[in-house]
Amino acid sequence: MKILTTVKKVVDVELNMHVKDGAIVEDGLQYVINAWDENAVETSVRLKENNGAETTLVSIGGGDCTDMIRRCYAMGIENGIHIDDPALTKADSSIYAKVLQKVYEKGDYDLIITGKQSQDTDSGQTGIILAEYLGLPCVSNVIDLEVTDDQHIKVSRSGDAGTEIIELALPAVIAVDVSINEPRLPQMRGIMMAKRKKIKTMDLAALGTSSDEIGAAAPKSEIAEFMASESRKSGQKFEGDAAEITAQVVALLANEAKVI
Amino acid sequence: MAKVLVIADIKQGMLKGGTAELLSKAKAIGAETAVAAIGSNIESLTPDLVNAGSDTQYIADDPGLELFSAGPYASCVVDAAKQFGANLIWFAFSENGKAVAPRVAAQLDAACATEITDVILEGDQIEVIRPAITNKVMQRVKINTEQLVAVVRAGAFEAAEGITGTENVVKLSIPAADLKAVIKEILTDASGEIDLADADVVISVGRGAKDQAGVDLVKELADDLSAGFGSSRAMVDGGFMAHNKQVGQTGKIVAPTLYMAIGISGAIQHLAGMTGSKVILAVNKDPESPIFNVADYGIVGDLFEVVPILREEIKKIRS
Ligand SMILES: Cc1cc2nc3c(=O)[nH]c(=O)nc-3n(C[C@H](O)[C@H](O)[C@H](O)COP(=O)(O)OP(=O)(O)OC[C@H]3O[C@@H](n4cnc5c(N)ncnc54)[C@H](O)[C@@H]3O)c2cc1C
Ligand SMILES: Nc1ncnc2c1ncn2[C@@H]1O[C@H](COP(=O)(O)O)[C@@H](O)[C@H]1O
Repeated sequence: MKILTTVKKVVDVELNMHVKDGAIVEDGLQYVINAWDENAVETSVRLKENNGAETTLVSIGGGDCTDMIRRCYAMGIENGIHIDDPALTKADSSIYAKVLQKVYEKGDYDLIITGKQSQDTDSGQTGIILAEYLGLPCVSNVIDLEVTDDQHIKVSRSGDAGTEIIELALPAVIAVDVSINEPRLPQMRGIMMAKRKKIKTMDLAALGTSSDEIGAAAPKSEIAEFMASESRKSGQKFEGDAAEITAQVVALLANEAKVI
Repeated sequence: MAKVLVIADIKQGMLKGGTAELLSKAKAIGAETAVAAIGSNIESLTPDLVNAGSDTQYIADDPGLELFSAGPYASCVVDAAKQFGANLIWFAFSENGKAVAPRVAAQLDAACATEITDVILEGDQIEVIRPAITNKVMQRVKINTEQLVAVVRAGAFEAAEGITGTENVVKLSIPAADLKAVIKEILTDASGEIDLADADVVISVGRGAKDQAGVDLVKELADDLSAGFGSSRAMVDGGFMAHNKQVGQTGKIVAPTLYMAIGISGAIQHLAGMTGSKVILAVNKDPESPIFNVADYGIVGDLFEVVPILREEIKKIRS
């Protein structure tokens, strides 16, 4: 089985963020692998270990991605492709999906594993749109996976009515949730080996496409501005005798907030 | 004039409240409204669809559509959108909506935006407002296509009183099943369980509850209040709660009248799912816990001690 895993470099969401003049202040920000994509990498590596697979990752944009890709190598990914092009600075999910379509078409993959969503956009679209472009079956919000035979996998999707068990004919696209696994920490030996591995870096021309073809010249949507989010104010905090403060709070819920 | 197609949110044969909220917003911006309802045995929902505020009802009713499958559902929506000439296609917040919206957008070559909290129309220009980066910032997004497919964040729009529509049913043709993604089984929620999305009160349990006994303790409080019973990710990963009970960025986004966080620290990913609640009560033994930064009422204490007292006091005040 040939697996393509998508990995995006995103801003570290745990750090404080400030907005000024419609943009996010870059000072003090750090960039890390998208959390859901780490689960996608782990999913691929486990498939390689348990079922035998060739694993390739692709990351689009994000400037220097060497450290992130090496980390994925150290986790067990074998090949890495980095696509970087100035035309992609304002890309939305559908543009990334077009680029991924080009990558897929060059590689003859059986399975594409994406994350459920990017932490910098929280959009959750790229894998699903890619599947549409490729005419492949797709399941998102995947929380479990099992290989049935050469041509099929069985996945669990967390849906509205409960957990759905779905059989997918390969080639297929899945988007995984963080609950699917616990990503491993890279070990020393893997880290040392990763240093010697190559990363294939390409621009759009090298990929055999252009800004026009992937829609980058006319994005379907673009961020006009960032704004500070309205934060909730903290209210009243009660400490002391449990019976006393709990009775006090219940009275407030009934008489002040009027919610019980 | 804007034309809004709302995708009816149907669960276990019932029309969920989100549908009326989206239709109300559509009417408020002066749009013509239609609804697309997809499922099996849903004919009887027509009056509800009209009352929710739709002026045309596109209905795909077939036994083959009983179980959710993103491919066929997307085909139905695309069909309805084309017949209606919709320029705005809105899904209420749900996992199904999140799975179908990008497909519809790809097929229509339209822009797609998820988790929107507002829509701004100026002439032909569409803009949306949405949170991003785990709710740390908001974005104003310019839509450059004539059509926009969007998933609306839970609690973003309110259902208006006294809105109704007119009955004009259009039957959609039934798409073929997706043979490449076959649903084998659904491990459904227990029947009679209160849906987090609808509940007026949601009570969530976190790692502070430790084990099954702690979870059961908090569940009793939820039962007393007929509340939806949710959890943080820690308790889902611990195997104590089903995945679809997780509240937060990668779970359910809820906006009830009252939210209680019991033994939950308030990680940003959890907050992203519940800060739209009207009133928040937190119980946590750590006075420095970040959950208190968003709580209207905070009880610093051991939940094993506080929850039984909460139950008693609520019973007293209600009788
Ligand atoms: C990409 C990503 C997505 C995520 N999505 C979600 C999501 O959707 N939802 C979500 O919830 N999390 C999500 N998380 C996980 C999140 O970051 C936290 O790890 C998680 O919310 C912690 O759960 P918790 O508050 O129950 O546990 P903890 O953080 O361990 O907090 C337990 C709390 O209980 C308190 N406590 C302990 N004992 C008691 C007692 N006896 N009485 C009272 N209080 C007590 C402690 O003081 C502490 O504050 C996500 C993480 C990532 C990286
Ligand atoms: N620029 C990118 N490079 C590689 N993968 C991406 C990129 N953008 C999105 N993806 C993949 O698509 C998933 C969903 O992204 P999004 O639609 O932005 O939420 C992510 O978890 C990634 O796996």
